[in-house]
Amino acid sequence: MIYYYLTVFPMEALIASELDPKAFGSYMATGSKKGSAEQLIFIEVEGGFESPFDWDFAEKNCVAHSTGEPKHSLYLSIYRVLENTPNSAMKSMYLVTKDGRTLQLYKTSCKVPGNWKGYALYQELCPVSPLVVSSLNPQQFGEYIISDNDKVTVPAIVFADVKIIDFDDFENSGNVGAMYDRNFDHMKDCIESVKSETEKQTKTVDRSFSSSFTYQIIDTGVYAASSKGVILFTMPTNEELKQQHYDWGKSANIF
Amino acid sequence: MIGLIIIAAIAALIFAAINFYGMKRRDPGTALMQEIAGAIQEGADAFMKHEYKIIAIVAACITVLLTVVVSWYSAASFILGASMSAIAGWIGMKIATISNVRVANEARKTRDIGKTLKVAFQGGSVMGLCVGGFALLGLFIIYIVFGKLLGQLKPENLVFHKNWLGISDIPFTMTVSCYALGCSIIAMFNRVGGGIYTKAADMGADLVGKTEAGIPEDDPRNPATIADNVGDNVGDVAGLGSDLLESYVGSLISAIILAAYIYFSARGTGNFISETLISKLVSYPLVFAALGLFSSMFGVLYLLVKKVSKKPHKELNRATFAGAGITLVSTGILTWFYFASEQVAPINFNIGILSPWVCAVLGIVSGIMIGQMAERYTSYDFKPTQGIAAAAKEGAALTITQGMAVGMTSVIAPVITLGICIIAANAAAGLYGVAMAAIGMLSFVTVTVSVDTYGPIADNAGGISEMAKLDPAVREITDELDAVGNTTAAIGKGFAIGSAALAALSLFASYLYAQAGESSAGGLDLILNMVNTMTLVGALAGAALPYLFSGILINAVANAARKMVQEVRRQFSSDPGILTGKSKPDYKTCISISSAGALSEMKVPAILSVATPLVSGFIFGAEFVGGLLIGTTLSAIMLALYTANAGGAWDNAKKYIEHGHYGGKGSDAHKAAVVGDTVGDPLKDTVGPSLDILIKIMAVVSLITVSIFSKFNLFSLFY
Repeated sequence: MIYYYLTVFPMEALIASELDPKAFGSYMATGSKKGSAEQLIFIEVEGGFESPFDWDFAEKNCVAHSTGEPKHSLYLSIYRVLENTPNSAMKSMYLVTKDGRTLQLYKTSCKVPGNWKGYALYQELCPVSPLVVSSLNPQQFGEYIISDNDKVTVPAIVFADVKIIDFDDFENSGNVGAMYDRNFDHMKDCIESVKSETEKQTKTVDRSFSSSFTYQIIDTGVYAASSKGVILFTMPTNEELKQQHYDWGKSANIF
Repeated sequence: MIGLIIIAAIAALIFAAINFYGMKRRDPGTALMQEIAGAIQEGADAFMKHEYKIIAIVAACITVLLTVVVSWYSAASFILGASMSAIAGWIGMKIATISNVRVANEARKTRDIGKTLKVAFQGGSVMGLCVGGFALLGLFIIYIVFGKLLGQLKPENLVFHKNWLGISDIPFTMTVSCYALGCSIIAMFNRVGGGIYTKAADMGADLVGKTEAGIPEDDPRNPATIADNVGDNVGDVAGLGSDLLESYVGSLISAIILAAYIYFSARGTGNFISETLISKLVSYPLVFAALGLFSSMFGVLYLLVKKVSKKPHKELNRATFAGAGITLVSTGILTWFYFASEQVAPINFNIGILSPWVCAVLGIVSGIMIGQMAERYTSYDFKPTQGIAAAAKEGAALTITQGMAVGMTSVIAPVITLGICIIAANAAAGLYGVAMAAIGMLSFVTVTVSVDTYGPIADNAGGISEMAKLDPAVREITDELDAVGNTTAAIGKGFAIGSAALAALSLFASYLYAQAGESSAGGLDLILNMVNTMTLVGALAGAALPYLFSGILINAVANAARKMVQEVRRQFSSDPGILTGKSKPDYKTCISISSAGALSEMKVPAILSVATPLVSGFIFGAEFVGGLLIGTTLSAIMLALYTANAGGAWDNAKKYIEHGHYGGKGSDAHKAAVVGDTVGDPLKDTVGPSLDILIKIMAVVSLITVSIFSKFNLFSLFY
């Protein structure tokens, strides 16, 4: 059986593989002698949809090795993949830790976070990766980024909403990793400006923040926006992680 | 009253046996849990066997030397001391490797932290009871066989005797000193060897597994994880047990030796000391210790039979304070009746017959205060450690700087406490009182060792739970028990350092008596002449020695850790299947690297501690060694306090960040704190504990050999 995976972090690609999502995540993070040991986010997609991708090539070449070992990865494209993949073809999203543990996030319709503060921090993941503060909720933000009304636009985007700490009490920040280690004061200024200037809907905090991105800071989940709408891959709560995905939570530095 | 000693020792050992076999009968859990525990047990067994083979060779050489140069009875008591300490260390390691999996299984079956605590404490109590039981059993044999049957304690024999080489000593003081030397040798090897082993494995596992590959603590994919768990058993259990047994014996024999010298020195001064009184002075520390052992057994039993709450720290404190409280009351009554009919003024019991008991109380109070101070400087509930965590935001350099500042600042308060204790004890009962203060501090050693041993057992249980993929709720229980164990370990270190300082001071006073030799009859002012250049230079050299010793130890850990790091990296890069879970890592190679590293690196520091006073004595003479001892003692106490507290504070600053402060895990502050913790690891777990033994082993070796090198030394040929 051939699986198709759209990797969105740290690089954008469409990969065919005979490995199931868990084995694929483990292989991509640690299983190759290329020496990679990094986080990886990918979405399993239903192959065969109308696109420039060469599905026949995948069918022909994604076959087991003569030793019986399954084909680990066959790259079908490494450029403008997301914009050519419809939301309807996307199945679940997988978050892979540096040591190769995989967490499945299920696809749901987009919703406004329950604890909406009037602004949010968004880590864009694909195809660009700035950290942005915005007064728009995730649905509005996704639509805003892909709309042609602004010069700053992309045809499709994957982004995560980020946990916001109490800036006046960094000592009790919680487990947020390196997220707030850089540009702390600038980030506060950006939030202030979005909160106080009604015409300012978004402000870039950092042009390329992906190196500091960790799963600890994902709040509601990861969103995928395209002209067909915005979908959400929901992040489990900490309690759900503890009960059902404890090992992943430990590897992701959440516990 | 003497019968109490053997009853207490045998009762403790029977109690230990009951707990040992009771533990063995418990369910060891699933097949996977048993497989992991089996690998840990196999590694620990193999290391201890190799280590004991090396110790046996060293011990055999010392035995021959003692037989030829000193006397057969000193050699016999040395073997007895070494055997008692070695057996206690071995049993401790065995029970720890039996208990770990059963503790994990208790948590798995009951999901109850109180019940799990009981099982972990039952395992720890075997080590505690063995320390108290074997130490007293050996001393009782010495007392009866050499003191009574061979007559060494007869007043007419409490004088200097010359051997065939013309070397003079008081036979009973030599016998008990050699008993202590036997305990010290085992303690030194177990502490140094175990310390190097455990830190090499720990650092190797962390530096590559956690930091580079990003795999969590105790993950079975980490090739060094089994070695890390083996290290807890050989370093933190066997090493700690032998260490505290040695401290316990050191404090007891220092009082006995002082009593003998006080008696000898008072002869002819007009301050007549009756035969009954001297006999009581010699036996009092042993009877005191016996009551302490009974009280400790009650403390242990109290925790094992009561319904335990869900607050492990509180329960462990209750057991400790129960042991300490009963010790205080029972020894107070003992002292009152023991010396009731005696004239105690000639022996400087300046506040009446309760003087030695008051000194012991001073020791207990000082020990508790030093322990609390250690907790204040190392626990993340307090400002000093939180300050290190805050400094970690600014990077590794400031984390190290701040940790050093905390460690250095932490030295003064315990030293003042010790100073007050020494002055007050001396005022109450002279130098004998100082020795009694050390005994007081360690009188309930059985409970403190039980509490200290419970920590590594809980730590191992956590490792097994993690590797066996037990439910998160189980791992939460073992994690909480482990966290409490870290705090009790810091407090235990305070006791160990404090008692070592007091015991070393008493042994040093004995050294001055022994140096004076027969000339001390008729009274002696114990004066160390610091204006004498030999003494001064000796003190300078002595002050430098702990730094040399620590440097060698840290280098040893770094060498072994480097090899471990290279091996773990090699395994990960040569077989990517280890991280994906397809292949099993090669645990055995990592165990071999830690074992080989520890076994080859432990010899130099251990031999250095024995050889330095000997060699410098035979070259420069007794004044130089006197200076050497005082210099080493002062410098080592400071360094031991500094390393223990700085290391503990770095460790807990990292934990504070991991609990969700300054960004938590993965933040820049966390990365800096990990560097601090790694720097502190060999300081707090290898260097600090070994320094306690260094000062006592040097004092005992000097005490045994002073009569030889005061006659035969190179320098006396020229001056």
